[in-house]
Amino acid sequence: MSSSTGLPNRVIPVLALAAFVSVWLLNLGVVQPNRIVAGTGYGLFGATGWLGAGIVSSLLCVVVVLAAKPIRNRFWVLALLLTAALMSLPLLLEVFALRKLPADSAYARIGIGAGFWCLAFFLALMLLETLSQLKASRRLQLSVVLLVAAGWWLCAAREGLSSLSLIREYANRADQFSQALTVHLSLSIGAVAISAVLAFGLALAMVRRERLRRPLLGLVSFMQTIPSLALFGLLIAPLGALSAAFPALQALGIRGIGWAPALLALIAYSLLPMVRNTYVALMEVPEPVVDAGRGMGMSERQVFLQVKLPLALPVIMEGVRITTIQAIGLTAVAALIGAGGFGTFIFQGLGQAAMDLVLLGALPTVFLALAADAILSALKFQETPS
Amino acid sequence: MIELKAVTRRFGEAVAVDNIDLTIETGEVCVLVGSSGCGKSTTLRMINRLLPRTSGEILVDGEDINKADPEALRLNMGYAIQSTGLFPHWTVARNIGVVPTLLKWPVQKRDERVTELLALLGLDPETDARKYPHQLSGGQAQRVGVARALAGDPNILLMDEPFGALDAITRENLQQEMLRIQRQLNKTTVFVTHDIDEALKLASRIAVMDQGRIIQHDTPEAILRRPASAFVENLIGKGDRGLKLLALRTVSDLMERHPEPRYSEPGSDSLNESDSLRIALSMMLWTNTERLAVLDATGAEVGIINREQLLKVGA
Repeated sequence: MSSSTGLPNRVIPVLALAAFVSVWLLNLGVVQPNRIVAGTGYGLFGATGWLGAGIVSSLLCVVVVLAAKPIRNRFWVLALLLTAALMSLPLLLEVFALRKLPADSAYARIGIGAGFWCLAFFLALMLLETLSQLKASRRLQLSVVLLVAAGWWLCAAREGLSSLSLIREYANRADQFSQALTVHLSLSIGAVAISAVLAFGLALAMVRRERLRRPLLGLVSFMQTIPSLALFGLLIAPLGALSAAFPALQALGIRGIGWAPALLALIAYSLLPMVRNTYVALMEVPEPVVDAGRGMGMSERQVFLQVKLPLALPVIMEGVRITTIQAIGLTAVAALIGAGGFGTFIFQGLGQAAMDLVLLGALPTVFLALAADAILSALKFQETPS
Repeated sequence: MIELKAVTRRFGEAVAVDNIDLTIETGEVCVLVGSSGCGKSTTLRMINRLLPRTSGEILVDGEDINKADPEALRLNMGYAIQSTGLFPHWTVARNIGVVPTLLKWPVQKRDERVTELLALLGLDPETDARKYPHQLSGGQAQRVGVARALAGDPNILLMDEPFGALDAITRENLQQEMLRIQRQLNKTTVFVTHDIDEALKLASRIAVMDQGRIIQHDTPEAILRRPASAFVENLIGKGDRGLKLLALRTVSDLMERHPEPRYSEPGSDSLNESDSLRIALSMMLWTNTERLAVLDATGAEVGIINREQLLKVGA
């Protein structure tokens, strides 16, 4: 264990204090008589009583003490404690539902308050700091994330949380949800895959012909500057006309609205980061290395496949990572032109002023982006140990 | 044998190499020396066709290199450069084995060759083989670069300022290694440098280049004794020319050899057979003696050298 673990940690107590203040000052949860009407808010004490408030407050105190005192293996204890706390956090909502939900109303539901979100957020930050103090391996970090996710999954499946507004919205739309997931994933992954292939070709052309560089980079940058809503809208007319003129296209599902314009726009937006990274990656392969490869007697093809491409791959993959995250976010907007995906829930929720329906669309979108980031960062495309 | 006949290379309007003729005999080390921009690297890179020539002819063993496949031509020419150009994503062993791999040698033969070369260049075949280039010191990386150039057992070795970026001590060591390896392998070598001392030390013949032309092409001794122009005279340095001449020859060339090796008293001032005459003179000046004993590698006294003889040679 490193020497720094003996010193008092300053980050964790500050975060714990912030968690303490926000969880006591803000509403932990809301009881709503139905999905539209604004409900009554309850603080930590009001929502969970002496028991819940006591457990949360004493947990935060223990965390502060552990962070400040030079106790042996304290960061391992902290990691265990914080992981367990995060895993079982939804139980607070369950207790809240048990205590405050009127038993006689079929439409009554509980909403998640700002206090709960803040508590979850600060606990996660403290866990992150603890893991970085432990210099945790990627595998340990991943297992912690999976443990927390599993905990939340188990809690969500329990009967006690069925009155949670978010879960009610989900239960009403379980089929639509899985369909939205499929559409969202296939749109963003499809756009990234197609633009990766296109960008690779464009970057190669730019490497071969210097004079193509400016016009091509200019074009993909220009596409990036069009506001996404405008681009989605602009594609409706030409695609609609094409579809009307060629019934074969119409049979394929290519119309002015729907997945076709969404996919096209997503590809257009994905091109800039992809082309730029691929081009820069290929250009930044050190000249002496390429020269040595040729001088050794490698053919141009061998130089490209054995030297240039492996050396460029980490930067190219960085482009894929950025593009994937961006595409997952943009796909949510594509719901406006009828493309489907999680954006559908967001816009429906906004239209109905049902914030939990918005959350049902927004949370999985954020989760998908984070998951894509984690998976693509974890893939090591460098043969050299860095 | 490499022959350049009336070779010219232009970059646009600029003439980098201007109508040069140069013959490099089999097994000799030809050093191209000159200041930067004189066309020495361009000349080297035309020999393995990394640069096409504008006009003229380049023959290797009587065959025009433009008739051969460029990749096949390069596979038979070892190539080492100043920045090493080692592949950063490959281990040392894989870097050294690149040409044998391209030549499709059997795996076992290739691995044996890599081990042999690591040992030849003074690297550890066990630990160093598994390292990556960024884990090596500058000197080690350049040793790997030279090993890689030798790996395919080429007839010709092209070296473009291979030791230019190294510190003085590492450079000196690698020059010694070069001389030792060259005595063992006798490769036809074209070596580019801007360092006249390096040229004098390594070359069988030196080609002094300036503004794309070869000013003088001769043995190191002839260049020192009879510089063809004021430019060459400046390059070799007028002042310490005598010392440079002495540096070209070893003590064993000049000493009076004893009929039988003798026991020498430990601790007394003496020279080694392989020391240069320059070191012999310096030692005599420092110890203020007329004569010094010469020892062989085992430490036995095999001869004696005196100051008068030494001074005659320098003249």
